[in-house]
Amino acid sequence: MTEAGPFALDRTATGWTLRLLGDWRLANLAALDAALAGHAWPEAGPLCLDGSALIGLDSAGLMLIHNRLRAAGVAWPAVELSGFDADHLALIRLVTDRLAAPAPTPPARFGFLARLGERVSGAAAELPGMLALLGQISEGLLGLLRRPAGFRMREFFVQLQSVGLGALPIVAMMTFLIGVVFAYLLGIQIEKYGANIFIVDGVSLAIARELSPMLVAVLVAGRSGAAFTAQIGAMKVTEEIDAIATLGLSPIKVLVLPRLLAIVVAMPLLSFFGDLMGVLGAATVAASQLDITLHTFFTRMRDVLPLDTVTYGLSKAPAFAVAIAFIACRNGFAVSRDARSVGERTTATVVTSLMAVILINALYAILNPAL
Amino acid sequence: MSTVLEVAAIRTVLAGQRLHDGVGFKVNKGEVVALIGGSGTGKTVLLRECIGLLRPESGQVRLLGESVWDLPPDGLDALRRRFGVLFQEGALFSSLSVAENVDAPLREHTRLSQALRDEVVDLKIRLAGLPPEAAGKRPAELSGGMKKRAALARALALEPEMLFLDEPTSGLDPISARAFDNLLRTLCDSLGLTALLTTHDLDTLWGMVDRVVVLHGGRVIADGPVAEVARIDHEWIRSYFTAHVAARGTADGNGSGNGIRG
Repeated sequence: MTEAGPFALDRTATGWTLRLLGDWRLANLAALDAALAGHAWPEAGPLCLDGSALIGLDSAGLMLIHNRLRAAGVAWPAVELSGFDADHLALIRLVTDRLAAPAPTPPARFGFLARLGERVSGAAAELPGMLALLGQISEGLLGLLRRPAGFRMREFFVQLQSVGLGALPIVAMMTFLIGVVFAYLLGIQIEKYGANIFIVDGVSLAIARELSPMLVAVLVAGRSGAAFTAQIGAMKVTEEIDAIATLGLSPIKVLVLPRLLAIVVAMPLLSFFGDLMGVLGAATVAASQLDITLHTFFTRMRDVLPLDTVTYGLSKAPAFAVAIAFIACRNGFAVSRDARSVGERTTATVVTSLMAVILINALYAILNPAL
Repeated sequence: MSTVLEVAAIRTVLAGQRLHDGVGFKVNKGEVVALIGGSGTGKTVLLRECIGLLRPESGQVRLLGESVWDLPPDGLDALRRRFGVLFQEGALFSSLSVAENVDAPLREHTRLSQALRDEVVDLKIRLAGLPPEAAGKRPAELSGGMKKRAALARALALEPEMLFLDEPTSGLDPISARAFDNLLRTLCDSLGLTALLTTHDLDTLWGMVDRVVVLHGGRVIADGPVAEVARIDHEWIRSYFTAHVAARGTADGNGSGNGIRG
């Protein structure tokens, strides 16, 4: 006979008796498992389970006995029960019946290569959806050309207000401050050469050509791109997209085109506004640090900033806008019906559209080296 | 027979409307009790008051020997480990798999190893009548009936003494609904669970419930076995049970007596 805390294993004339002594419940499961694991099991033989001295038993405790006995080679139906009350017998019947089916094979763990392949094939699987959306948008735009009355004017203006007007304060603040910082840093350098007036050349070129369009694009991607994805994604979760489709309306026309056009209209305007505020910030610093009056600053700017440079900077904005709107809407429609998906897709929108903006910007720089 | 849940003199005012005006009933150990009443009578609200989610204006809720609304927060948390709740839509965590959903309370409230928790999770999934393969699925991949079962598995994770179920069969087809009823009854009988459920489903009432508590006009107007309650001559109860018979076009053969034929 051996004793080990919550149970006792006795040799009987016909085989073995396992007497359960303690509290076989979830709260003690870890200790019970340790006690069972540290015990030498007899050779398989007729086993009797005795519950007359039990303090408590629940389904988890019973499962532990069942699974450990099975692992030791004692198949359950061969176990004889004695001393259990009616409640425990009902519990034993249910649990052992449910556990009778074999355990499922755990899913195989994949290595690095398999995970990489999964990611790549997942990314590749995105492609058809993106192409489909591109096709649908083109079709919708062509439809608009044929029948302009079908355009959702109200939704367009609502979006224009939130993308454009709503972004004005933050665009103003950001570009003004970048203008201030840029002029200040540049000013420290050129003052050493006594070339103060060239602050105007450097600042106005940089802001009009690169800084303002890029800053506005980054801001709009984070602000409106994320909003588009979250809005469309939440509508997808609540089946509103399906409702739009079943009412005979096109989700592209109702949701995508107004957003796309609103952002395409708003971004060049925001960029131009950013140009103004950036230059204003730089002019403020030039006046206070480099003794360049506002009049001198703007007279010089008229000479050194060709209109082409300004329009080149502004021409990037619609391209950024299309990329942001497309990526945001695509991710919105790709949301699956759970809460995490909305978050993942919104993050993807911001990251991907920022990458797209930087790529497009580089492409513009390569294609227009002369400016 | 000991009392597991005792609700007394509950008054609730919600959005300026008096919802409960002195509601009281008891649930004994091992009983399965259904709370019925028309839409807007506050069945779900009452259930939420029992489990400590919504504080009533006044009244007492004694659950498993504790007065729910007089407990300090950590006392309420300890009490919550002793009962399970099945919400109407399942309320599964959508970003976790079924197995992770069932594992969540175990991970939080026990100190078991991952291997041992996996075994417990597998058991609960099986007890809830799901195939073991369902463990790796996301809630979005499950049918309505399977979602309810997964949520039930999660509610059973910590070996509760009592279950609260909000409309357990709503949104299920009649066959799945009956299967779910049978499962609940089997689990309650075998695991020694006490259950309080709200329902609109008369088949649930006739099929698996020990006792019915009828809420009407902010009060409990009837409390007893379903066959007795169905015989009570009250306008709402009469129309409730006859509407059901008329809808099915047949009389219920479940020993319901004349009451249900109006």
